[in-house]
Amino acid sequence: MELKDEIRINAPKDVVYAALNDPEVLRQCIPGCEELVKHSDTDLEAKVVLKVGPVKARFGGTVVLDTTGAPDAFSLTGQGNGGAAGHAKGGADVTLEEVDGVTILRYDAKAEIGGKLAQLGSRLIQSTAKKLAASFFTKFAEVVETVDA
Amino acid sequence: MNDMTPDRETRSANLKGLGCSRKRVEDARFTQGKGNYVDDIKLPGMLHGDFVRSPYAHARVVSINKDAALALPGVVAVLTAEDLAPLNLHWMPTLAGDKQMVLADGKVLFQGQEVAFVVAKDRYVAADAVELVEVEYEELPVIVDPFEALKTDVVLREDLAGQTHGAHGPRKHHNHIFTWEQGDETTTNQVLENADVVAEETMYYHRTHPCPLETCGSVASMDKVNGKLTLWGTFQAPHVVRTVASLLSGIEEHNIRVVSPDIGGGFGNKVGVYPGYVCSIVASIVTGVPVKWVEDRMENLMSTAFARDYWMTGKIAATKEGKITGLHCHVTADHGGFDACADPTKFPAGFMNICTGSYDIPVAYLAVDGVYTNKAPGGVSYRCSFRVTEAVYFIERMIEVLAIELNMDAAELRRINFIKKEQFPYQSALGWEYDSGDYHTAWDKALKAVDYEGLRREQAERVEAFKRGETRTLMGIGLSFFTEIVGAGPVKNCDILGMGMFDSCEIRIHPTGSAIARLGTISQGQGHATTFAQILASEIGLSADSITIEEGDTDTAPYGLGTYGSRSTPVAGAATAMAGRKIRAKAQMIAAYLLEVHDDDVEWDIDRFVVKGAPERFKTMKEIAYAAYNQAIPGIEPGLEAVSYYDPPNMTYPFGAYVCVMDIDVDTGVPEIRRFYALDDCGTRINPMIIEGQIHGGLTEALAVALGQEIAYDDLGNVKTGTLMDFFLPTAWEVPNYETDFTVTPSPHHPIGAKGVGESPHVGGVPCFSNAVQDAFRAFGNRHTNMPHDHWRIWQTANRLGLHD
Repeated sequence: MELKDEIRINAPKDVVYAALNDPEVLRQCIPGCEELVKHSDTDLEAKVVLKVGPVKARFGGTVVLDTTGAPDAFSLTGQGNGGAAGHAKGGADVTLEEVDGVTILRYDAKAEIGGKLAQLGSRLIQSTAKKLAASFFTKFAEVVETVDA
Repeated sequence: MNDMTPDRETRSANLKGLGCSRKRVEDARFTQGKGNYVDDIKLPGMLHGDFVRSPYAHARVVSINKDAALALPGVVAVLTAEDLAPLNLHWMPTLAGDKQMVLADGKVLFQGQEVAFVVAKDRYVAADAVELVEVEYEELPVIVDPFEALKTDVVLREDLAGQTHGAHGPRKHHNHIFTWEQGDETTTNQVLENADVVAEETMYYHRTHPCPLETCGSVASMDKVNGKLTLWGTFQAPHVVRTVASLLSGIEEHNIRVVSPDIGGGFGNKVGVYPGYVCSIVASIVTGVPVKWVEDRMENLMSTAFARDYWMTGKIAATKEGKITGLHCHVTADHGGFDACADPTKFPAGFMNICTGSYDIPVAYLAVDGVYTNKAPGGVSYRCSFRVTEAVYFIERMIEVLAIELNMDAAELRRINFIKKEQFPYQSALGWEYDSGDYHTAWDKALKAVDYEGLRREQAERVEAFKRGETRTLMGIGLSFFTEIVGAGPVKNCDILGMGMFDSCEIRIHPTGSAIARLGTISQGQGHATTFAQILASEIGLSADSITIEEGDTDTAPYGLGTYGSRSTPVAGAATAMAGRKIRAKAQMIAAYLLEVHDDDVEWDIDRFVVKGAPERFKTMKEIAYAAYNQAIPGIEPGLEAVSYYDPPNMTYPFGAYVCVMDIDVDTGVPEIRRFYALDDCGTRINPMIIEGQIHGGLTEALAVALGQEIAYDDLGNVKTGTLMDFFLPTAWEVPNYETDFTVTPSPHHPIGAKGVGESPHVGGVPCFSNAVQDAFRAFGNRHTNMPHDHWRIWQTANRLGLHD
């Protein structure tokens, strides 16, 4: 599965970047996120409740960040496991560009999905992922813009 | 005195014997919701089992934590391979002589593989507990392509590491199972080298699934007081299950009773032994109470036996005039994680060597390589005799490709290559003796019925109109002529796990002139209770309405190998006729005694013995039955019973000629079936109404497979078609009207000349539907495209041929 989009956030790049690294902001914005722990600047662990079609499960997962290009770009890889419901792993490349005080965030994500999630939800995964991403960034923009203001 | 005797015609009609379209006696209970299926069985204190299944296609099982599941109220036990190992039940033999894990023993080989078995007080608690079992996996590289499997260093079956020989001979690679060769390779290659014309093609017969409406299940009840195990289950071969259960568990065979109650469709899916059966038995032994296991639809589709998955490469040689001179076939067979094919032992690729079809092909060679991959095990005969759909699809596509190569009409090409009537019994190049056939008569009748010449003219006009831009639909004419090989089989050739494939019938005539007959087969919807009574009625002269047919209970039925591969009528049907003849032989002696004449002076007449030359002196079968029990007859034991174990001298070879006319919308890829004509020759026809029903059902499953039904995997080994939303099961909406027709060429060696019919329409139907799709595009350069021909793939074919430009 591949997912690509571009989002405009009314905040400068360094604010956006800082927010993307703030576990509390992320926890608020990730749909269904129950817990997010930052073990180091590059290692995160999360518990998320996800519902795709008829499959609903609590996924435990880890994320590793590669921040060598920060704050203009960074990438992340992660994997999650929902037990009987299935599992996923993937990564995303994110770039941040500031134009007139507005940050344009572009991402390009790829994921491999397995288990019941892939079987039952295969025709729903793409649309569900889009919806989840949209929900994340709507909330993220809201939070960041509030902080900045 | 005999003025009241009805005439012969009336007496014959009263029997409702052979040839009578007698209504199915089973249907009263099925249509009124009174069937008794495995899931209807409810025993006091019964527990329910459910599986924890692997979400991965290939992974190591690092650890299994049962604590949370066991803590759930209502959970009684969670079984893993570790629990089964001390009983030596963590592995089981497959029908193909391989070993299959009952519960994952350190590693999983396909998605949906059984990892742990939860036993709980109700089915819902069991399902909830499944989610609480924590299994840690370590992913391994997934191999879903059999060609890749033969190249990779990844070892799928570590338990077989270093074994250079399997159950069917040498292994060439650690993921290779067997090579099976038939025919003469050297001569075939010489013929191919020197031929006027050679047509070559590679085709994939995709993986699909029988998908019976009732999924698989079992109820095991171990009575610890008397040491008896009773096992109810969805078994197409209950006696084989009893023997296997005894060998596996060590429980003596007389202490095991296996019962197949009503079965909601089998189509090959219920031939094998599944981990669920074994786990329900073990759980009942462990808990001391009955345990039920019934799988759900997803489990059925992703873990129980699939069908097909054959990559077939063919070369067919012919003269310029179209006379076929040789055939070469190589198959790469994807068997999944275990070799669990349900074939007779000496035939690891089933009867794929019937792939010379209905044609007189002087020389041929076949080689099949079986391969392990990270897919579910199986390889059953889905509504066909062992691998015969694959064989017939192969040859019927090769004929079409050869017709293209020769620029010949495909109907004519078939006609000039058919085995001629006078050549039967015909010895095929790959080792079979075809018992009988009259292919030219059937073919001519079929082509005339559909006005074949007229159809071809219409098709040519349509192509011209399409080119002029006047229409966006094309017309396909699908042809197929098939020869099935059914009735496995002669014990000298055919056994399963060493058990010879005879079958049996035991008859008891009651004093008042009614009867019960028990057989070693088991109906899954075929209507045995109706048709076997008809065979017997014609043999013993009692009305079919007075004869009960009973199957499926190993405590009462004689030993038999079960129902699949259209073997019931050819084998158990023959046993029924033979047992009936034994009854009649004794009845003749009783009649002669009662009539005070010599045995040789009475003759059989429909429902009675009459004194030769004095037809007014007779004893009816009813009278004879009463006397058999109630009159002391010197030199004759009381009673009237018989049993026959029938080992057929040969297979039977039903055949048929099918034509499908299809209109295809080039822009949407939607095919519309305008007409489907099916002529079947199944020898003597027992019940024409049931034959017609069987043909409708078989054609519908053929339509499903040809036009969309498949078990598809992604690169990670995820089953992408695990529900009926994605797995195509046709409904009344998709099914066209079928026209049925017949010729009758009785089998010369079967006691009543019958050949079996339930699977013919599937075998002949798949290539017919597929050929129709492919034929529609022949004028635009199409040679072969793989099934299933769903709308998307048909659209792609049109697109590839430039028809959207």
